[in-house]
Amino acid sequence: MLDSLSFRRGNEGVAIMVRVYVNDREIDVPHDALIIEAVERAGYEVPTLCYLKGFFNEATCRICLVKVNGRIVPACRFPVLENAKIVVEDNDLRKLRKINLELILATHEIRCWSCVRKGMCELLSLSKKLGVEGIPVCSECPLGEHSCLVLKGIPCLGSLTVAGCDAECPRKGSPCIGCRGYITNEDVWISALRSFYSGNVSISELKSLVDFFWSYLPRNLREILEEVSNNKR
Amino acid sequence: MTGTLVTNVEVQKANDLIVKVPLASCTLAAGANKVLESVKKTLEKLGLDASIKRVGCMGLCYLDPWIELESKEMPSAIYANVKPEKVEKIIKDYIEGDLSNALAVRRKTQELGNVPTLDSLPEWRHQVRFVSRNCGLIDPESIEDYLKTGGYSGLKKAIRLSREEVIEIVRKSGLRGRGGAGFPTWYKWRVAYEQKSDIKYVICNGDEGDPGAFMNRLLAESDPHRVLEGLIIAGYAIGASKGYIFVRAEKPLMSDRLEIAVNQARDYGFLGEKILGTDFSFDVEVYRSAGAFVCGEETALIAAIEGRSRPRQRPPYPATSGLLGKPTVINNVETLAHVATIFQVGLEEFTRYGTEKSKGTKMFCVTGSVRKTGVYEVPIGTKIKTLVYDLAGGPPDGKTVKAVQIGGPSGGCLPASLLDLELDYETLQSYGAIMGSGGLVVIDNTNCMVDVAKYFTSFTLAESCGKCLPCRVGMKVVNDILEKITSGAASLEDLEVLKELGEDIMKSSLCALGGTAPNPILSTLRYFRSEYEEHVVDKRCSAKVCLKLVRYEIDSTKCRGCMQCAKNCPVQAISGSPGKVFRIDQSRCIKCGQCLIVCPFGAVMKV
Repeated sequence: MLDSLSFRRGNEGVAIMVRVYVNDREIDVPHDALIIEAVERAGYEVPTLCYLKGFFNEATCRICLVKVNGRIVPACRFPVLENAKIVVEDNDLRKLRKINLELILATHEIRCWSCVRKGMCELLSLSKKLGVEGIPVCSECPLGEHSCLVLKGIPCLGSLTVAGCDAECPRKGSPCIGCRGYITNEDVWISALRSFYSGNVSISELKSLVDFFWSYLPRNLREILEEVSNNKR
Repeated sequence: MTGTLVTNVEVQKANDLIVKVPLASCTLAAGANKVLESVKKTLEKLGLDASIKRVGCMGLCYLDPWIELESKEMPSAIYANVKPEKVEKIIKDYIEGDLSNALAVRRKTQELGNVPTLDSLPEWRHQVRFVSRNCGLIDPESIEDYLKTGGYSGLKKAIRLSREEVIEIVRKSGLRGRGGAGFPTWYKWRVAYEQKSDIKYVICNGDEGDPGAFMNRLLAESDPHRVLEGLIIAGYAIGASKGYIFVRAEKPLMSDRLEIAVNQARDYGFLGEKILGTDFSFDVEVYRSAGAFVCGEETALIAAIEGRSRPRQRPPYPATSGLLGKPTVINNVETLAHVATIFQVGLEEFTRYGTEKSKGTKMFCVTGSVRKTGVYEVPIGTKIKTLVYDLAGGPPDGKTVKAVQIGGPSGGCLPASLLDLELDYETLQSYGAIMGSGGLVVIDNTNCMVDVAKYFTSFTLAESCGKCLPCRVGMKVVNDILEKITSGAASLEDLEVLKELGEDIMKSSLCALGGTAPNPILSTLRYFRSEYEEHVVDKRCSAKVCLKLVRYEIDSTKCRGCMQCAKNCPVQAISGSPGKVFRIDQSRCIKCGQCLIVCPFGAVMKV
């Protein structure tokens, strides 16, 4: 802690180079460079979400965490230190990034099926990269520019099923049967159910629909189903 | 509020009586104002030639409101828990020489029967009153009183030395920040001193938002000049031109007294241009903040003075780029009071106490399930046991200590088996708690540790500024899981998630609020895992605190059918006919516990 406190900025305009080690690769960067710039210069990549080069580095999303001399810091905000040893990727960091991404998704209203980005967003690509579950098949379906089966009135489980199959079935025109299991994010589950099936489907139809993963359904599913089917739009 | 008080008392006659009434937020809350009125009336009625003197609080909260009577002939005596109607008798008895009602006397001059001296009371004897030496003795709104006790002699000494020498003295003292993290004070000073800048700032951090911590408020209300003197010395050491005292607006008396102190110091030439004939100019402003827990964090505190209150990623540290981008030193109220005292009484007096790594004394607020709630100043390295049992008198009858929560919402719970630990920064940290600002909440066996953890997470959840993700969302998820556990709907997996998530939040949060917020959960999980498992597996709360896991039932052998419970039930969940055993309808019961209170036969049980 004492070392990093004595960090000092040099005079403006004079580029003082400092040596850092990114994953043991030696590299010289300007003294006022950020860790993320040093890492990029060394040819590595740090996943980021809230970082926008030159504009915004408040370090709020905590996805770009790296280890500098063993201390976990956000790469988008932390300046380089002389002889710093930067670790871009290890199990610790991967775990932290994954948990943080899951936390983002926990409050993210995952409505990929009606989002303008049509599933082509950083959040989703990062989720795939880090192996974060909780995103429905619906997020992958629009990528093939196929029209939504649910909106056509065909009961499709895409909105409740974990993504990762590249939406094979809906693309071929047959509804998703939920073979990858239901998404663990209960809130998404409920909001998806509400937005798609509300008032259109009877409760018995709904029950037969979700029959596939009946054995591991959320406890209060019956109540949700009843509420959803009663709730006429 | 304070009426026509004499600020500085000149004792003229030999038998003049002085009545000292403590006027600080805590004593006022306990009714010191009414006592003061009563004292005034009594003195008028008895026609006594006496003066009333306002003093600060001495930190023994369980004695509030107390008064002290002093005269030339008699040793001054302290009367505890004074009721306004008792004041007349107390004063009459004292004049007649009867001290039997007194709690203690300051000094034993003659044989006084069995009235003990204050020094012999356990709650006083174990204390080392270093920074709190004036608390309860002097008038906090009078600079003359402070000057009489050696006030501002520290500043006079420091200002004759060079800046390096001042920092060197603080380095030798080994003083560490008393606000929580225990960062060496001199190091911050030196870094800020070495910065080349025309403007530098010092800030006194008096935010103090931990539940159960009030030592800063007490210190600043009872001895504000000591804090101010420390701030001026800090300003001199780094070469600052402006100082801020950051106080919550919720503590009006504290900020008022500090403002009075600043004005008086300005009048006496301790602030302003060319202080004490040197070319050091320095001024202080009391900043009243709207009050948010996160503002205790230094970068958020700076941002609050600038007009936005959210922490930012360090580095740059405030010592290099702080308030308005200028080098800024931020010290806690107690740290600055220590600085002033060190310069007043000398280094040796300070370094006599404490451990190898952390010197000096620390004020601790002992609250919760103890007989003698109060602020106690003890050397660092004192055992927790001493503080809880010897000073605070241990838990009330019939209860045992289950855990001690140290350091507020950022700290952890230590089990009763670890009460032998010494209170110092490193030891506490290695056991999962922190020294924090020094709040020490004693938790007895009627408390459920999961519920305690939930209380602290809901506090940090509400106080999180919402800037960075782990703290904002993570604490919400943690709180939801705890809610699940206390309502009996959790699985053992949730405990693993709780631990993993807690560690993640600590590692990846932006500021110290998130970096320490999971401490209460992690420490209770570490020491009271069986209690969590009981909630999860057996769906039972043995302390009978978690409402969803307890239910009220009527013991059919004890019930006499008096109908009291049915009458008082707000939801008509109790039915039965007079003379027969009553029954509680569990589906309608809201578990308010009224039936348990009103039942004259003790037939209602909480199971």
